[in-house]
Amino acid sequence: MIDWYTIIFQIINFMVLVFLLRHFLYGPIIRTMDEREEKIMRREEEAAQRQREAMEASQTYQRKTKELQERTDEIIEKARVDAEEKKRAMLQEARLDVQRTKKLWEQDFERERNIFIRELRRRIGEQACAIARRCLSDLADAHLEELIWAQFLVEMGSFSEESLGRFSDAVVTADYVIALRSVFEIEENRLEELAATLREILPEAGDRIRLIVEGDPDLICGFELESGGHRVGWSIDDYLNGLEARILGEMDEPMTGTEVLGDGGIGE
Amino acid sequence: MTINPDEIIIFQWAWFKVNATLLFTWITMFLLAFGSWLITRNLTSKGTLSRWQNLLEVLINGINGQIREVSRQEPGPYLPFVGTLFIFIAISNIIAVVPGYIPPTSSLSTTAALAICVFIAVPVFGIARRGLGDYLRQYVQPTYIMLPFNVIGELSRTLALAVRLYGNMMSGTVIVAILLTITPLIFPVVMQVLGLLTGLIQAYIFAILAMVYIASASRAHESRKDKGEK
Repeated sequence: MIDWYTIIFQIINFMVLVFLLRHFLYGPIIRTMDEREEKIMRREEEAAQRQREAMEASQTYQRKTKELQERTDEIIEKARVDAEEKKRAMLQEARLDVQRTKKLWEQDFERERNIFIRELRRRIGEQACAIARRCLSDLADAHLEELIWAQFLVEMGSFSEESLGRFSDAVVTADYVIALRSVFEIEENRLEELAATLREILPEAGDRIRLIVEGDPDLICGFELESGGHRVGWSIDDYLNGLEARILGEMDEPMTGTEVLGDGGIGE
Repeated sequence: MTINPDEIIIFQWAWFKVNATLLFTWITMFLLAFGSWLITRNLTSKGTLSRWQNLLEVLINGINGQIREVSRQEPGPYLPFVGTLFIFIAISNIIAVVPGYIPPTSSLSTTAALAICVFIAVPVFGIARRGLGDYLRQYVQPTYIMLPFNVIGELSRTLALAVRLYGNMMSGTVIVAILLTITPLIFPVVMQVLGLLTGLIQAYIFAILAMVYIASASRAHESRKDKGEK
């Protein structure tokens, strides 16, 4: 049964077949499969790499979005705080502005009032003088100026010791120069009359007194002596002061005061 | 009835003779080699695979998987030998359904030749993997007394392998022959189908056994190395 000849040939045949198949079958197939496997692996690696990159990108974007959100919140918060501060500053400024305006207005008002009062006082004085002049001329045919002058001289004589002393000191300081102020024209004889009176009341000054005449439109219906910043004298001013106080009191009650004044008996 | 294809002499010149076994072996070899060349000359590693490439890849993958399972080693070095054993036997047995084709595996000479190849391959692979001294030492394991038994075991293993394949192939042919005389119609066809199955199973068993022997020769080393490391 055993044919050694065939066996040997079959062994050789098998060896040849192994070689042939190794060359034509296993080699190429295994190579191809390895190639494919490698390709798939590479593709998977690439995919994994891409996924990693995508993950990273996604995380980066998320972080950026978060940062952006935080920054936005920060900016909004800052803007809110700024706006609050600005509002406060503007309110403060507006308040100051109002106060300033109010103050200005008050100053204006004060000035207007002062002007008005001065004007009023002047007119009252004038009117009073006019009335007095009229009355005096009607009643006694007297010259008002003379009466005022006489009164001035009388007042001079009736100064208290204290005020006279002060005036005397002021005269000495001013080197015996005394200014006579009045709205009226001063006549020569009156100056002599005044000088005589002064010599009487200021005996220590005596003949060293020098009189200067100065016009003063503000001095209403009266005369005034000024020396070294000290003043003495008589004018309707003194009387008008009382009237002024009353008028000022009324002026403090804004509307009604003005109306009272408007209706008041100054008259034209 | 001629059972042994060795005895069918087709051509003879002096001592050189070509019997049916050799002729059909060559035909099979040509079919395998030419078919492989046809398929593998335009392989591709991308896109869609051709049907034949797919078939071959499945086949090679399957063989590789089996080798890996049995040997617990990378199949690379064993694939040509074991794979060729399987493919040659399987194809021979499958083409046996073609009328007039006598499978070379039905000759004891062929199966003996294959068994001898395994017999040679076992020490070759063993020595290649473990070195000569290491390989030879296994024959005197666990003691020198075991040497003859180990050698007998090696020889009987080869003989059993040869006879197993021959017996199965032979039996298939003999059964068909006997049945033809009893029931000439239909039933032999069923037996032929059964023959295909047993043919494939034999191919599988032969290849696996060869692999087991080779693996046992080259694996002892690994386990000892593992022990040494421990």
